[in-house]
Amino acid sequence: MMKCVEHGHEVVALAHAHPPQSADTEELDSFLFQTVGSSAVHAVAECMELPFYHREIRGTAVTQELDYTLTADDETEDLYALLAEVKEHHPDVGGVSVGAIFSSYQGNRVQHVCERLGLTMLPFLWHRDQAELLQEMVAAGVDAILIKVAAMGLGRGDLGQTLGQMAPKLLALHEKYGVHPCGEGGEFESFTLDCPLFKKRIVIDESQVVTHSEDDLAPVMYLSIRRFHLELK
Amino acid sequence: MVNFTVDQIRELMDKVANIRNMSVIAHVDHGKSTLTDSLVAKAGIIKSSTAGEARFTDTRADEQERGITIKSTAISMYFELDEDQMEDIQDKSNGNGFLINLIDSPGHVDFSSEVTAALRVTDGALVVVDTISGVSVQTETVLRQALTEMIKPVVMINKVDRAMLERQLPKEELYQNFRRVVENVNVNIATFQSEKIMGDLQVYPENGTVAFGSGLHAWGFTLRQFAVRYAKRLGVDRHKMMKRLWGDSFFNAKTKKWSSKSSDPEGKFNDRGFNMFALDPIYKIFDATMHERKDEAFALAEKLQITVTSEERDLTGKPLLKVLMRKFLPAAEALMEMICIHLPSPKVAQKYRCEGLYEGPMDDVCAMGIKNCDPKAPLMLYVSKMVPTSDKGRFYAFGRVFSGTAASGQKVRIQGPNYVPGTKKDLFLKNIQRTVLMMGRSTESIEDCPAGNIIGLVGVDQFLQKSGTLTTEETAHNMRVMKFSVSPVVQVAVEVKNQQDLPKLVEGLKRLSKSDPCVLTWTADSGEHIVAGAGELHLEICLKDLEEDHAQVPIRKSEPVVEYRETVHEESFDFALAKSPNKHNRIYMKAQPLGEELTNALEGGDITPRDDVKERARVLAEKYEWDVNDARKIWAFDPENAPMNLLVDTTKAVQFLNEIKEHCVSGFQWASQTGPCADEKLRGCRFNITDVSLHADSIHRGAGQIGPACRRAIYASVLMAKPTLQEPVYLVEIQCPEQAMGGVFSVLNRRRGEVIDEQTREGTTQKTIKAYMPVNESFGFVTELRAATGGQAFPQSVFDHWSTMGGAADQPGKVNDIVKQIRVRKGMPEQMNGYEYYYDKL
Repeated sequence: MMKCVEHGHEVVALAHAHPPQSADTEELDSFLFQTVGSSAVHAVAECMELPFYHREIRGTAVTQELDYTLTADDETEDLYALLAEVKEHHPDVGGVSVGAIFSSYQGNRVQHVCERLGLTMLPFLWHRDQAELLQEMVAAGVDAILIKVAAMGLGRGDLGQTLGQMAPKLLALHEKYGVHPCGEGGEFESFTLDCPLFKKRIVIDESQVVTHSEDDLAPVMYLSIRRFHLELK
Repeated sequence: MVNFTVDQIRELMDKVANIRNMSVIAHVDHGKSTLTDSLVAKAGIIKSSTAGEARFTDTRADEQERGITIKSTAISMYFELDEDQMEDIQDKSNGNGFLINLIDSPGHVDFSSEVTAALRVTDGALVVVDTISGVSVQTETVLRQALTEMIKPVVMINKVDRAMLERQLPKEELYQNFRRVVENVNVNIATFQSEKIMGDLQVYPENGTVAFGSGLHAWGFTLRQFAVRYAKRLGVDRHKMMKRLWGDSFFNAKTKKWSSKSSDPEGKFNDRGFNMFALDPIYKIFDATMHERKDEAFALAEKLQITVTSEERDLTGKPLLKVLMRKFLPAAEALMEMICIHLPSPKVAQKYRCEGLYEGPMDDVCAMGIKNCDPKAPLMLYVSKMVPTSDKGRFYAFGRVFSGTAASGQKVRIQGPNYVPGTKKDLFLKNIQRTVLMMGRSTESIEDCPAGNIIGLVGVDQFLQKSGTLTTEETAHNMRVMKFSVSPVVQVAVEVKNQQDLPKLVEGLKRLSKSDPCVLTWTADSGEHIVAGAGELHLEICLKDLEEDHAQVPIRKSEPVVEYRETVHEESFDFALAKSPNKHNRIYMKAQPLGEELTNALEGGDITPRDDVKERARVLAEKYEWDVNDARKIWAFDPENAPMNLLVDTTKAVQFLNEIKEHCVSGFQWASQTGPCADEKLRGCRFNITDVSLHADSIHRGAGQIGPACRRAIYASVLMAKPTLQEPVYLVEIQCPEQAMGGVFSVLNRRRGEVIDEQTREGTTQKTIKAYMPVNESFGFVTELRAATGGQAFPQSVFDHWSTMGGAADQPGKVNDIVKQIRVRKGMPEQMNGYEYYYDKL
């Protein structure tokens, strides 16, 4: 979003696809969406003082090919429905910001949905060098924490650490095991607590570590945000 | 002793056809060092400046105290042959002066890694065998090592004086004794020699490749000496004479005719050539001197052209015997002659050794340099061990120049064992500070060193762990790493008595590891410092060195423990499924036992990652009943040298599979190093990747995702295949008199020993017992055995094999108890994980 603003776009609304209420876990292992941290995403909209649209993920990754063709009950259709709703309320919306860096799988699906809705995809991070990008985000004042780990060398202790704190370790793991420094392969997920676009910042009061799958070298675990408050900047 | 200036020695080093690099190898206590000393006393080269200071091979105080050799030592010698002798050398020589570089190595099995390091830099070996004890377990081990390294052996049958004085063996019995020893040696050579490459390496007294004698009394002979003596007197060809001096060739003193029968037509006794011409004069001297018939002895001496000084005339008994025998048959003469005539020069040896020494293609510039022993080719130098300098913590890199010339100040590529051609892995570019000649304990700087010679290097020790390749050629591959016959299966944890000494201990451990080719040191996850060695004695010496030399701080050590291996009894009962951390990739795996035979073939280097794929598949299919398609799709061997586990692709038509191969291999290597039961290495396992489903986008199936998934799949598959442990087992050889057998058996029994062979040495009541005994039961064995037999039994233990333990690691029982013990020791939770821990649900 910061890149969009930098390029002269205006952010008018935020949209989020979240796990169904009935799900007993925040982590759906979706091929398309990040679902951990879902409970606090609405706060981002509050911080930016923007309207927030959300929708339950009902589909799954039915089509797992690299290219997407319209498929019933695919999670991509949830994205379509979500963005369609946004478009309905904001007829003048022209584009969707996309954070994908190397994932053609995700890029192809957003592109598919955008084309159907007459929207432009704005992938300003596309094919950027991940190590460089990581440094750039930290330098630009993005205060994001690791909220999920799923890669060789990452563990419980890394949850809740900021990207700035993690940068040296992530770069070292990249050298050692080929872990993508921006977590593009699904190695970790982050949650932004503050950035220059925020008018307030998010402060987490209570969170809990949930183990998704246990392993001594590459455990998968995430932080479930239980209580937080907003702070004026 | 020969006095030479460095320049004179340097000149000899250029005449490569006249160089003999050789090791002296034997079972402990068969008299290597004594024999070596007698050679050095005669022909050793010493710097002119230090002439008179006599100390040769056993340089350490503890070596002298214990009476055993611990470290190998290099000595250079110089010897000139006469015209007759030169005639018998098959290859072209350059003048009649020979430079002999001799390495005396330890005989105790615990130190056989020193032997390996010595063999690598030599081309020939003098194998010393005790006449009375014969070929023993360590003789077999070192012979096997020598032959695998393509080292040509000659034999010295030693301690003949004892057979004559203590055992009073008559001539024919002594001959039969010799014949048995030669036969036993040849049985071993025949088994391990590479006949196609090097020809028949068996030794034959009638060819002059076997010497007999006494290192202690410094006398010895080969049949060549007697043949020369009699050829002149009887006017026959000396080669013909030699043949008559061995085997069933008998002489009739009356008719002066040779026959193949021991009696003539009239039923008269014919004398065996060997007994009559070789043994007879020796027996006469023994008889006359030991029975105080000095006049007769001196008369004999005169007849044999031995000059006796007036002082020597005053001697009696043994001292007189020694003097006469030494003058009659000087051991050094006989042995040096045998070495120069029968052992190959580097020029000859490197032609056939090249393939076994060099990993690269046999037609590249380095291989050609090695084959031709060319001092002008690119440098190829193998460092086989590190020798401590007087400067604490620094080492000479000891090795051999196989190609090119190593010089002081030269810039070289230092390639460690993990170097991969074309990469920078395990590679350093540094200068050799100095090249030095290693002469026993002293060293002498030398400007450069041409191919074919043994050399010490200053200034490269920091860049090498224990061994490695030095070269000037950018495209050079590594020289093959040495294969050790002993494994560091016994370990102890060490700690400092005073906490502030810790940094010194850490530094000391590094130095210890460098100074010994076999010892391993590392820091366990629990923070303990571990030292691993071949056996109790080896560890004892290592820890003593650590405490007194390398660290110089007081240390405490734990009780010794052994290393185990993890393996599987059967095939996994189902496909083990593991997902990548992002859950978008799945790997299906099955584990199965490789079988002991195949595992041994892999570890022994019969089947290697470097083999031609199709040829290897054929062998696996024919000999080990593999599916030939599977056999062509072996993805990885772990470890690369002496592999213990295989990863095989048995999938059918999986998309993108080749993209993830490398990641799977790293997961496999990881898992192989630390098994799921007790964090011990896996051994004897085959892992079949049966199916894989992958995320369509390569970014989501990178190394960070696939590596852990493959590792999990392997762990789950092991735990689904009745996992168990393998324990290391020693082969123990015990020599004792018959009456001590009861004591031996009861000690073996208490220690789960399994007797596999029991033999009486011909003509004695001495027994040789061979048994298997778990290494874990061996601590304190030597002491207990001595106590139980009144000190009459002498054991030698050498690591023999891994034995798969009955029962499963994850079921209550003995194996599970051991697993728990190891886990607790390593600071892990006592209970191991079940397969469910790693098995991911679909």
